[in-house]
Formats: sequence, C-alpha cells, structure tokens
Amino acid sequence: MKDIFTDLYKKVAGFFQTQEKEDNAKDVAVNRMKLVLMQDRTNLTPFLLEKMRGEMIAVLAKYVEMDQEALELNFEQEGEQMALMLSIPVLRAKDDEEIQAILDAEAAAKEKAEAEAAEESEEESTEDEEEVEETDEDVEEVIEEEVCTVEVEESEEISESPDEVEELEEETTTKKSKKK
Amino acid sequence: MTGRVIVITSGKGGVGKTTTSANIGTALAKAGQKVVLIDTDIGLRNLDLLLGLENRIVYTIVDVVEERCKLKQALVKDKKNPNLCLLAAAQTRDKSALSQEQLKSICEELKEFNDFVLVDCPAGIEQGFQNAIAGATEAIIVTTPEMSAVRDADRIIGLLEAKEEIESYKLLLNRVRPNLVKSNDMMSVDDVVDILSCSLIGIIPEDTGVITSTNKGEPIVNDENSLAGQAYHNVAKRIMGEEIDFLDLDAPKGIIQKIQKFFAGLFSKEQK
Repeated sequence: MKDIFTDLYKKVAGFFQTQEKEDNAKDVAVNRMKLVLMQDRTNLTPFLLEKMRGEMIAVLAKYVEMDQEALELNFEQEGEQMALMLSIPVLRAKDDEEIQAILDAEAAAKEKAEAEAAEESEEESTEDEEEVEETDEDVEEVIEEEVCTVEVEESEEISESPDEVEELEEETTTKKSKKK
Repeated sequence: MTGRVIVITSGKGGVGKTTTSANIGTALAKAGQKVVLIDTDIGLRNLDLLLGLENRIVYTIVDVVEERCKLKQALVKDKKNPNLCLLAAAQTRDKSALSQEQLKSICEELKEFNDFVLVDCPAGIEQGFQNAIAGATEAIIVTTPEMSAVRDADRIIGLLEAKEEIESYKLLLNRVRPNLVKSNDMMSVDDVVDILSCSLIGIIPEDTGVITSTNKGEPIVNDENSLAGQAYHNVAKRIMGEEIDFLDLDAPKGIIQKIQKFFAGLFSKEQK
C-alpha cells in the first residue's frame, strides 16, 4: 500500500518537474562531448586543466574578488581558430591598497627567495651541508606565507566561516613571528 | 573530362559509410553522372553486397595494382544503371596489399573518364584510411548523433585538415531519430554541427528500409517512397552544386498528425 502511494507521489512530482528538468541525456551528451573533444584537440588532460585553472585563480585573485566555484574554463571553436574562454563571475573589484599590499608582499617574498637562492648556490659551491639545509627551510616558509596571505584575503572578504579565518590569521601571524 | 574524387570516411565503423557510398553513387548515376565506386576496405568488402553485385566480381583492385588485369576489366557495371561501376576490394588480402601511390594513380586514371570517383574508406585511421584519402580532393565525413561517432569524426576532421590535397570536406549526419531529438534524449543536428564546426551536406533519418534494401542488394535511393532515399537524393544534388533545403524531419507522417499540424498552423496564424 505504502509503495503505491510513494509511486503515485513520484509520478505526480515527476509530472511537475519535467519542465524544469535540465539534466536530460542530450545536454549531458553535448557537455561531455565538448569537454572530451577539447581534451582530444589540445592534449590537455583533466589534471593539467585543473592545474591551469588553479594557477589562473591564484593570479587573478590578486586583482579581483571572484566566485571561484563558478569560474569556467572552456575551449571554443570559432571558425578555424580555437579560443580559450575564461568566464569569471567578479564579485567585487579590489581597491588599490589591497592590490598594492598583495603585490608588495609578493615582491618581498620573491626578493627574499631570490636572495636565498643566490646564497644557497654560493654555499653549495663551498659545500657546507648544514647551512644549505637551513636555507631550504627558509624558502619553504616564505612560499607558505605567500599562499596563506592570499587565502586570508579571500576568506575575509567572502567570510565563509569566521573561525577558519581566525585560524588562518593565527597561522600566518605565528609564522611571521617565527620568521622574525 | 576530369572527374571529382570524393572519399567517404568516418573513423568509427558501422555508422553507414558503405551505405552512404552505395546510395550517393547510385543517386548521382541516376542523375546522369558517370560514377565509379571504389571499395578500399580490403579483407572486409561489403559495397558489392549493398549494390547486389557480389556474384559479378571477377577482378578486384588488388588484381589491378598487381597487374593481373587492366583497370577497365576490373570495373563491374551496375545491374540497373550503366552509368555506375564498382571497383571491388579483394576479400582474401589485407590493407597492406595497396599503397597510397597506387590508389592515387588509380583515382587519376578513373577520373579521366568519369564525373565522380567515390572512395569508400575502411574504418579506422591506419593504412586503409591513409590509402583511401590518398587520391581524393574532397571528403564526406559520415557520423551519427552518438558520442563515439562524433568523437571519431572530430579526429578524422583533424587528419583531413592536415592533408593539403583535401580541398573541402562536409559532414553527413546519418541515422538521425527525430523523436529522440525532440524528447531531448539525443544530440540534435545543430548540436553536432556546432560541436564539430563543419558544414553539412546531408541529414539522413533512421530508416528501417535501409535494412531491407541491403538484404535485397538494392540501394534505398531506388525506393521512391523512402525518406532516407529522398535524403540521399538531396545529398547527390548538393554534391552537384544545387541548393536544396534539408528535409524537415519533424514533418508528420500520419493523417492524425497532419490534421493536428493543420490546426496548429491555423491557431498560430490567428495569434499573429
């Protein structure tokens, strides 16, 4: 008896849903088709595409605040040419100060990394193993810090969960203090 | 006279290359053109069956290249249409029995006394395919609105693009099922054209008549009442340079649907 009712409910619900249904076999086929042909034509594997996407987000996040989940990366055929189409829903443009702060931090980090790399190579030539190990750690820390600051900026503005932001902030501050 | 050499290819097997070759060839011959069909599917020949010529084959294309006979001796005349000839593939050999140069020279020779040389290509992208496209300057890519066929067609388009001798290529969409397209269960003609970004030469509806016509060894273009046959005739006309509208596959067949369409038409006019 229960089965009959659930069945009936499903049928009625299905009747009203048919018009809104979007995931029909045709659309699924078209979307899968476009994706697989894009991979075939470019030799870009899903892994490489994801990597490309991640790197693009990291760059773009410095200048605009965007909806990262809705970022779309597609290849489109326009006549003879293939175009890489990137669609980014921009939530808010960052102001000059914010951008400058990020760029400054990045430049500083880069300088430091370069300086340390130079030091490292010098030390390598003298073959001092202990010293080399130390500088390696330093470089890692610098890179970590850079990633974190970008993340903090993002999560502060989107304010997903305040706890997380605090945690991240704590992390970065502790790292900064460590460095000092 | 210098004829056109058109290769009919698809990548994937079973999408209707041979059926398409037989029907376009017959349709062109019926329109008064002199046509030679070449079956390059060596070891797996079937074009002879579709034309009902399987019992008339004496020499094959391999006999020609190995100089056991003259080219003209190997051409099998069609039962009904004297304008149409078949150069059959050998059944007991494999694709390595031919080379690209040999096929090229056969095409060169055939186009001297024919309007059209249609090359039926084997499935795949290996030597058989490379041989088949060697002498051609035009291509028809046969595909169906299925993912695997479309993907393979895309690959073929890429290979044809890379070949300088191919001046133009067109897409023939086979086995379209209007009902499934209408219910959004299948990719539409527009979807496939959009995905492959290749211009169309024909849309052939799925037709059970193709099976019976194959069984009888008679191309479906000989059946005046068949929708698929009509579609193939239109393809032949387009090849000859005529501008023909694509068939309206949504056109109702039964009396009830016709009445429905009539009233629907009236209603929409009143609304305007």
